[in-house]
Amino acid sequence: MPELEHKMRIEGLCLYYNGFKALEDISMKVYCRRITALIGPSGCGKSSLLRCLNRMNDLVEGARVEGVLELDGEDIHSACRDLTALRRRVGMVFQKPNPFPMSVFDNVAYGPRLTGRKSRGELEEIVERSLRRAALWDEVKDKLRQSALALSGGQQQRLCIARVLAVQPEVILLDEPCSALDPISTQRIEDLLAELKSSYTIVIVTHNMQQAARVSDYTAFLTIENQGEPGRLIEYGETEDIFTRPRDQRTENYITGRFG
Amino acid sequence: MSPKTADRVASAVFWAMGGITASALLFIVVQIFWRGLATALSPSFFLGKPRAFEEGGGVLPMLVSSVYLAAWTLIIAVPVSLGAAIYLAEFARKGSRAAGAVRFCADSLASLPSIVFGLFGMTFFAAYLGWGTCLLAGACTLALLNLPVLMRSAEESMRAVPAAYREASLGLGAGRWTTVRQVVIPSAMPGILAGTVLTVGRVLGESASLIYVMMLVTRKVPSFSPFSNAAPLASNIWYTQTEAIIPDYRRVVDGGAALLLLLVLAVNLAARALGKAYSKRKGVKTADARA
Repeated sequence: MPELEHKMRIEGLCLYYNGFKALEDISMKVYCRRITALIGPSGCGKSSLLRCLNRMNDLVEGARVEGVLELDGEDIHSACRDLTALRRRVGMVFQKPNPFPMSVFDNVAYGPRLTGRKSRGELEEIVERSLRRAALWDEVKDKLRQSALALSGGQQQRLCIARVLAVQPEVILLDEPCSALDPISTQRIEDLLAELKSSYTIVIVTHNMQQAARVSDYTAFLTIENQGEPGRLIEYGETEDIFTRPRDQRTENYITGRFG
Repeated sequence: MSPKTADRVASAVFWAMGGITASALLFIVVQIFWRGLATALSPSFFLGKPRAFEEGGGVLPMLVSSVYLAAWTLIIAVPVSLGAAIYLAEFARKGSRAAGAVRFCADSLASLPSIVFGLFGMTFFAAYLGWGTCLLAGACTLALLNLPVLMRSAEESMRAVPAAYREASLGLGAGRWTTVRQVVIPSAMPGILAGTVLTVGRVLGESASLIYVMMLVTRKVPSFSPFSNAAPLASNIWYTQTEAIIPDYRRVVDGGAALLLLLVLAVNLAARALGKAYSKRKGVKTADARA
């Protein structure tokens, strides 16, 4: 079988926060239009790795990345790389739903408005399309002018996904997007992800192994051996293999619930 | 003493202290209105011109001066303080020396007595720049006086904006400045507005720092020119009471005090209404924006 086309390539990546080494020698490929899950115990650096992919770590003072990180074969750390353009191509959904304190409409229109003037009609079309793709349109079509903060947690999280979709990214990063949601809302987000993967490359961090098994095509297992040591990538492969035939003892211990 | 009794005693003591604070305020308000409200509300007073040696003068020029002074002060102080606050809250690195220096200067400035600002204003704006005693000299002096408080309150309001909003905005490809403009400032607006209203109150009530840089009494209603002569109400009250050359000076002073209080009250209510209208337009409850 020919190898799948990859969207992002990580090679020998190390992440430092000031003197502290948070990640060591991570190498993996993120495949096009697939869902890749990052799993591992708390503090293993899976969220940090995710935040490397659209350079959100740049916001953390003292954060420094070494190694190769490519998007479509281009190094995202090269000096001429436009950070805002990168983040438009690689969107992010956060752990806690974080809609802006604005109306539902303005939340979704926020991204499109950043890139030049758009007519009312164009914006309305983008907003509707994005909300439909995020499976939220039917619930909010009559309250587009109302505050986004009045929505339920699950609706807020889908709104955040719609907000990311509105800028038409190529990659969507999700950082434990369901950890603050109830099971029904979680289910809806998972269904949504399964649908979105036909058009987007998705990377999801989750502490929930069932979730990783349910939604992802590829799974990367990260862990730290001892407190204070950097997080390392232990095993990466197709989700089915990782969960049924793990090659590494540590992966097996983790997925069978022996630690973490 | 059993813990229960101790709790009762403590709660009684603290309740009493709260009561003292509230009643002191109430006492002052009642006192001022009792003496001056009737005068303040009579058109011949707030629409009349001052008289020197006879009874029945009014304070219209001073009232207009106070309003102009507050407006000019805000025009000067708000942009500068907001800019400084944006730098401190959004752009300065953690532990930056420059930011530390700005904060240190602001805190030092805030602890200076207002008469010192008056002396500085006189030597610098009125004398050195040759503006003389005028609206602008007063407004610049008061802008300096209020800069630290305005800046710090704006900075605190911006710091209270959840980091998640900034991350979301930056994650969508917005630049830092766009994020500040579109997300941080609107969310911090209730707090910024509250700080501004406090400043208006202070400007309206300020007299000590103005006695050298503005007139103390004027018969002409000032024009909106920043170089026009103006005598704010608070300084005029001080002057009228001290000199006591008007036969009915007590009436003018009491009426002026009541008028000033009404003005501050009106500004507070207006700001509140403004804040509500703002939140409504943004589709957000004020409480949520602060959360």
